[in-house]
Amino acid sequence: MLPQFAKLLCFAAMLASLAAAPLTAATLHRGLGPEPDSLHIHQAQGLAAVNLLRDIREGLVTFDVSGEPVPGQAESWQVLDNGKRYRFTLRADARWSNGDPVTADDFVRAWQRAVTPATAATTAGLLKDVRHAEEILGGRAEPGALGIRAVGPGIVEVELEQAAPWILEILAHPVSFPLHSEGTDDPRIAPVNGPFLLQEWTPRASIHLVRNEQYYGAATVGMDAVDYHPIEEPATELALYRAGELHITETIPAGRFAWLRENLPNELRVNPYLGSFWLGLNFNHPLLGQSPELRRALALAINREILVETVLGAGELVGWGVVPPGIAGYQPATLPEDSMSQEAREAEARRLYRQSGAGEPDPLLLELRYNTSGVHRRVAVAVASMWKQVLGVNTELVNEEWKVFVNNRRLGIVTQVFRGGWIADYADPSSFLDLFSSGSNLNNTFYRNARFDGLLDSAKASAGAARMELLREAEAQLLQDMPVIPLYYYVSRHLVNPAVTGYEDNVRDVHLSRYLELELGEP
Amino acid sequence: MNQEGILRHAATRFLGLIPTLLVLITIAFFLIRVAPGGPFDSEKVLPPEIRTNLDAKYHLDEPLLMQYFRYLGQIVSGDFGPSFQYKDWSVNELIRRGFPVSGTIGGLAMLLAFVIGTLTGIAAALRQNTMLDYGVMGVAMLGISIPTFVVAPLLILGVGVYAGWLPAGGWDWSWQRMVLPVVTLALPVIAYIARLTRGSMIEVLHSNYIRTARAKGLPEYLVIWRHAFKPAILPVISYMGPATAALITGSVVIERIYSIPGLGSYFVQGALNRDYTLVMGVVVFYGVVITVLNFIVDLLYAWLNPRIRYDELQ
Repeated sequence: MLPQFAKLLCFAAMLASLAAAPLTAATLHRGLGPEPDSLHIHQAQGLAAVNLLRDIREGLVTFDVSGEPVPGQAESWQVLDNGKRYRFTLRADARWSNGDPVTADDFVRAWQRAVTPATAATTAGLLKDVRHAEEILGGRAEPGALGIRAVGPGIVEVELEQAAPWILEILAHPVSFPLHSEGTDDPRIAPVNGPFLLQEWTPRASIHLVRNEQYYGAATVGMDAVDYHPIEEPATELALYRAGELHITETIPAGRFAWLRENLPNELRVNPYLGSFWLGLNFNHPLLGQSPELRRALALAINREILVETVLGAGELVGWGVVPPGIAGYQPATLPEDSMSQEAREAEARRLYRQSGAGEPDPLLLELRYNTSGVHRRVAVAVASMWKQVLGVNTELVNEEWKVFVNNRRLGIVTQVFRGGWIADYADPSSFLDLFSSGSNLNNTFYRNARFDGLLDSAKASAGAARMELLREAEAQLLQDMPVIPLYYYVSRHLVNPAVTGYEDNVRDVHLSRYLELELGEP
Repeated sequence: MNQEGILRHAATRFLGLIPTLLVLITIAFFLIRVAPGGPFDSEKVLPPEIRTNLDAKYHLDEPLLMQYFRYLGQIVSGDFGPSFQYKDWSVNELIRRGFPVSGTIGGLAMLLAFVIGTLTGIAAALRQNTMLDYGVMGVAMLGISIPTFVVAPLLILGVGVYAGWLPAGGWDWSWQRMVLPVVTLALPVIAYIARLTRGSMIEVLHSNYIRTARAKGLPEYLVIWRHAFKPAILPVISYMGPATAALITGSVVIERIYSIPGLGSYFVQGALNRDYTLVMGVVVFYGVVITVLNFIVDLLYAWLNPRIRYDELQ
């Protein structure tokens, strides 16, 4: 009897010893979302991969703690020819992890490789503003013709097709990172030049990084090691965070915003993000394409406050425009209806709907298409019921699996109203507005407006505040024509352990591990 | 059965696997290609040159039939090709890393389920129509009808988050992280095995030779163990073949909820991403596992049930 009891005690003690396995202070544990698609700089595409690569490699430019572009491997640069040419001076102490200096040739080699069609780099399009990049990608020029050259071992000169103020941000993207002369872009075998080294990679379990002592800023890197945990299910990530196994989460589960705001108010970090959600309207559809009144009526009939607070409930912001707030120097365009009360909007919607004649003689039947997902379905159901209530429009909801959906949306043959949205490649209004130019292959609405195109062209030829004003006018034109019905702006959502320092919310949602530190003494 | 008989039986069954697998590969290969969209379709449009090069790299530019024969050739040499979605890994590497995880969790779950399931089933059968029987079968009914995606979060919340006894998820090969997924995975199987065992045990206990065994004065535990147990678990054994195959190749629900890097997610993720090579790889692998396990079940059956042995030999 006694030995059995002793065994039981032992087991109980063992269980107790497991209690919330304490995090070791020297390692930072971060949620990563999905498994990164690739850690090769020319293959990485998803956010998880890009974020991780920014910890193990560095470009000419990097981000500071608040997500703004700052000198990285380049210590300084000159802007020449009205922004068409940049001359970068590399840091003298920029080194590869094997001790070799990072040279201008390492950048030239990497960039030429990125735009070589045989590399099949999926993000090479980001370098489109570099001189001859598009010709090379299209196979009409040799990679050697690319607008980048080594003026000296420590000086890189980049030539652009035209001024592109956002280029600095592109230079902080993995596609523009340098490559060591020996070796591929495989981080498991080739030298890297970032604050951390990739030590171990177990797919879908963990990615273990340790500090790179060769990194020029190694002394300022707070953590000895960082563990990234790919966790697909946000509810699991939350459970691990609450059990004390993660310091920073990638997101929060849908529908838990209110609970988290109540229970973990100091750890919940919700911040505007460079993304917009809208409903696209196919201009090839006879009614939708030809009746601005109908498009406006459909837009006004939607109660965005209810949508954001009740249907989504994850901190999203009501959206009336295409370009989200938070881009430095840009004042997003607005519609007069923004400031109306919802009752007034709905009255206006009914008036416009009558004027459009779309509801005569039979009530209008529209199709709303979205890709299969719980959130999109809830939004679609809510929008359909608002259209029914306010305008009497009947809506048929169609959901499709992602791959089928993107193809249908691109072809624009069967679509009428469809779920759309955009997350910016770089913090500039043009990243959103260019989508709707006549020449864009991402223009799923098939909207065409010469004035809008003209304003975008003029913006390309100008700079500074004048450029931003032209872009604002273009957005105003777009909202006037309403090829999309804006619904809300995305937000970044993280849980951050109070012991973490050096974490600042920012609109790009970049949080390089080199700035993060754990204060000793767990809360 | 004599030595030669077993060998002959094994060899014919084994050869039968080859056409089965060939049919499986063929159907799976063409079925996934019928699905609209391809691995490189996404929200953003790739420059045509890049697209062409990607297609060429993965031989997607060849006629489908040629791709099929190329694939067959690859499989014969044991190469499942590169994954489209996880570009830094080959499908072989992903299976090599995923299967030990799924296999461990699934194997432990099956072991647990077999031991607890048969024991409770036998106990219920011996105390037929008593409180014990009703209790066990009631719990078994619950176990079958409550889905794992309900049980798992409850266990995570109770044991992992509130009590803090065990990790809430994740994977590092420690036994602590295995407990909850193994238990979750085993619960419905325990319930099923318990019901199967009880049913067939009751039937066996009513047969003539058991009455004979009891009549000649054998102690009850010997009657159960020596005479009743073997025939009673026959249905359990035939259930265990496919069930084990399903468990050790991973459960997408368990893997997602507990964040475990097993094989199960690759079926679903691979199909959604049109990751042709990954889907094919796991389907073929699953096919091999299930046919091999069925083969083992057949052999076990022959060993457990003399009637089958003699029928087959004649």
